[in-house]
Amino acid sequence: MQIDPHSHVPIYLQIADGVRAAVAAGVYRPGDALPSLRAMAIQAHVNPNTVQRAYDELEREGLIYCRRGRGLFVAEQGLASAQSVTGNGVRRALEDAIRAGQTAGMSANEVRQLFTSALQRVTQARSKQP
Amino acid sequence: MIASTETGPALELIGLTKRFGRTLGVDRLSLTIPRGSVFGLLGPNGAGKSTTIRMLMGMLAPTDGQARVLGIDVAADPVEVKQRVGYVPETHHIYRWMRVGEVLGFCKSCFRKWNDQTCRELVELFGLDLEKKVKHLSKGTQVKLALLLAVAHEPELLLLDEPLSGLDPIAREEFLDGVLRTICERGQTVLISSHMLDDVRRLADTVGFLYEGRLLLQDNLDTLLASTKRISATLGDGCRPTQAPDGTIWQRIEGREWIVTLRDFTPEKLGQIQATQGVEHASVIDLGLEELFKDLIRGQRVAS
Repeated sequence: MQIDPHSHVPIYLQIADGVRAAVAAGVYRPGDALPSLRAMAIQAHVNPNTVQRAYDELEREGLIYCRRGRGLFVAEQGLASAQSVTGNGVRRALEDAIRAGQTAGMSANEVRQLFTSALQRVTQARSKQP
Repeated sequence: MIASTETGPALELIGLTKRFGRTLGVDRLSLTIPRGSVFGLLGPNGAGKSTTIRMLMGMLAPTDGQARVLGIDVAADPVEVKQRVGYVPETHHIYRWMRVGEVLGFCKSCFRKWNDQTCRELVELFGLDLEKKVKHLSKGTQVKLALLLAVAHEPELLLLDEPLSGLDPIAREEFLDGVLRTICERGQTVLISSHMLDDVRRLADTVGFLYEGRLLLQDNLDTLLASTKRISATLGDGCRPTQAPDGTIWQRIEGREWIVTLRDFTPEKLGQIQATQGVEHASVIDLGLEELFKDLIRGQRVAS
């Protein structure tokens, strides 16, 4: 779990994002156990209360569930949930990029062209990977 | 008597003041830290962080005010405080001629409580060689030994005074692992003073900023970062705004850019800046802890 302590994004949200990304990528699959609070705190070098807050958030959105005395597990609908929330993050990032363009005086068409060419570049680079 | 104090705050400072001749080292510091909290005490060199911590340990008498540690008046019973608090000083002076194993045995005999299992675990985690003399340990290993000695007697409060400066990244990480273990296992209350803002960000839930002995602010770390913003406004030619919104901690005009760092940010405050005569447009920038720390100090320097 990579945490960026320079970022303004609260660390519990960074952990929640990290777990969602790991579920979306299949690192943790439905039914798999998540690291315990303590294990995650020590692995990510953060306060365990922060991990607790992240896990609470993920439990609320239905990504994980708690089995008393057994720990936390990825829910059956976890993958779909992770993808939909990750989609929200992507939308926010795109909106930020659009706003940055508008502040710099770009037109909608210029932004669209940039988006199309960026999408092409990233897709090509990905398909070249072994 | 001890049981009755176990529910109160871990730390309570009431107008704590320390004067060194004409200078005020600590200036009417009032602060309450609840049990279970990890508090980051931040501030530039000479802000009074170490002086405060030394008063909490009863090593330095306050000029005025009171420090209550775990409900105990430090001035009245400093020995009881030392039994129940773990302390890693800025410069530690563990018996340099002793072997590590001898130091452990000696310290064990000084405290009412001693957890042999914690001691063994940390010896292993830190890779301490019990046969080595303290004076032959690297600086990083000495600091780790100091942490072991501070937590093995199961303190109710852990005071860490600038423990990370001068440590290499690996030693720093191991030290933080040791601190995190006691937080995980015991819900340890911690006060850590540090310049290593990244590490404070990872550990602390609450921070306080000291400047010239005064507490400038104290807040939950996430709340503070979420509510403090920098606004960058573009100015028309020859425009010099003078009025910044309430809660401005620092502002600067450089060429056509007006930068304002604000506490308790609201969209209305952004509106106020956008509506200022001569402002063409303004955008909001999020701040990390380090930027916030620097802007607070810059703001104080301008004010004084």
